[in-house]
Amino acid sequence: MKRVFLVALLWIPLLCFTYSASAETFTCLACHSAMKGKIRTEGGVLIDVNVDGEKYSQSVHGGFDCIICHKQFGSNPHEPARIANVPQGIASLASKLTHKAKVDPVALAACSECHGDIYKSWQQSIHGSNVIQKKQSDGASCLDCHGLPHYITPKNTAASHINKKNIVKTCGECHENEGLARKYGFSTHILGRYYESFHGKKYVIGHPNAPTCVDCHKYHDIKKWEDPMSPVAWDNRTETCGRCHKGATKKFVTAITHKPYGKDNPVPYYFEKGLIVLLLSVFAFIVGHVILEAISEIRDKVLRKGKEGHHE
Amino acid sequence: MNKETPKEYLRFNTIERIQHVILFTTFLLLSFTGWALKYPEQTVEHSSWLVRIWGGAKNAGIVHRIAGITMLLDFAWHVLYLGYMLSTGKMKLRKDTTIIPLPKDVMDAVKNILYFLGLGKEKPQFGRFSYIHKFDYWAVFWGMGIIGLSGLFLAFPVQSSYFFPLWSVNWIWEVISIMHSDEALLAIVFILFWHFYNEHLKWNKFPMSMTWITGKISIEDMKHEHPLEYKLEFGDKGDNK
Repeated sequence: MKRVFLVALLWIPLLCFTYSASAETFTCLACHSAMKGKIRTEGGVLIDVNVDGEKYSQSVHGGFDCIICHKQFGSNPHEPARIANVPQGIASLASKLTHKAKVDPVALAACSECHGDIYKSWQQSIHGSNVIQKKQSDGASCLDCHGLPHYITPKNTAASHINKKNIVKTCGECHENEGLARKYGFSTHILGRYYESFHGKKYVIGHPNAPTCVDCHKYHDIKKWEDPMSPVAWDNRTETCGRCHKGATKKFVTAITHKPYGKDNPVPYYFEKGLIVLLLSVFAFIVGHVILEAISEIRDKVLRKGKEGHHE
Repeated sequence: MNKETPKEYLRFNTIERIQHVILFTTFLLLSFTGWALKYPEQTVEHSSWLVRIWGGAKNAGIVHRIAGITMLLDFAWHVLYLGYMLSTGKMKLRKDTTIIPLPKDVMDAVKNILYFLGLGKEKPQFGRFSYIHKFDYWAVFWGMGIIGLSGLFLAFPVQSSYFFPLWSVNWIWEVISIMHSDEALLAIVFILFWHFYNEHLKWNKFPMSMTWITGKISIEDMKHEHPLEYKLEFGDKGDNK
């Protein structure tokens, strides 16, 4: 009897926790999962007010109260948001993110509460410093790679934006964007050249060892390739490439550049053109020869009734 | 000139036939494992059936490498074998039996095409190997050099990089991968059209000439298809010209 009671007692805090954790969320979602469309805030920002409750509950953060991240909102959601509710560290970080997260910079800063180390290395990355120091609203922060905050799923799930099957496409969202390429001076050919390379082709057909962008360039602490801290800086490449290609030398690591071949790299460009000419001429000859011969054989069999123009 | 004319003539000996079987087996394996990399679908999720039949891209890669090495060994065996046969005099270089292209082959090709077009009255007379056979043979030779060599470079990239001169390292890999994949496409199309038509689809060969198994050709076919070799072997006897 005593044992049964103890077991029951053990369940109580667990039940309390799940109940209390979701109660608040349920209150918010009661309206927000039903609301559709966008509203304009006093600050003039358009906000999508809908949160898909079911999808949210299936996400990695599905058990969280809304106010764990949306710290400005007190228990009464329709009170004006107050920065006073927010711990100081988060608040100061949020103040640097106002241009980036126009809806709720506090919520974006709140990622750092649990993912502190990652947040720090992101701030030092080229993506992070572009947002924090250069104040660019189109710089990549958490959500640009991980997707909508309410629906982040584990990285081994197909829906995850950073799943191996999706990561290259995710990087491409920005790195194939012409406007961004012009603004920041990067090439939009990078993904195309990756797909043409052996790494990219193997990736596309599903080779488990094929490297994606993040395997060579890293992710949260990504740097420009010329930065000496970047794993693909010239001095670090032998080590980076050497992780898969044992014994990689300085001479070997020039193999991958993502540079399109054309005027800058004329040898492969004209080599390919030459090969195409060779291929097409051979094709034209063999196909033409086969077709002509087939027609002449039919002609001999049908019209000349087996009397071939031979040496008889 | 007074040899008995047999019913059949041994065109290819056992060693040559084995070399051919290894060649086409490895060729088919290489084509079916490599094609997916030539035109990978642009979606990651649905890897094509060409990958799935091998149990994934990794296995396809392993099969491709094994088949490639086997083919190159077969090629080396063939070249060494020819060297041995020629140096011991078991095989002689003669104008009407050699595989080496001669000016006559160009003339034969022109004459043959004129005949196809109805502009010539006679088909050319061939020796042991017609220009069609010679083209087929040397295309494989060429492919073996280009695709085999670039394939070795791609299979062992780190080791190959030691041999490349410094001034080439910025473009050599592009050139090698273009070489491997475009030449492979050429080889596949070549075999599909040239070899398949000439050795399988022709009205008198369909579905295939049995020479690859038996090594033999009937004397009738020999007279018809290789008249010059026939004359060389059996003289004018039986040739009722």
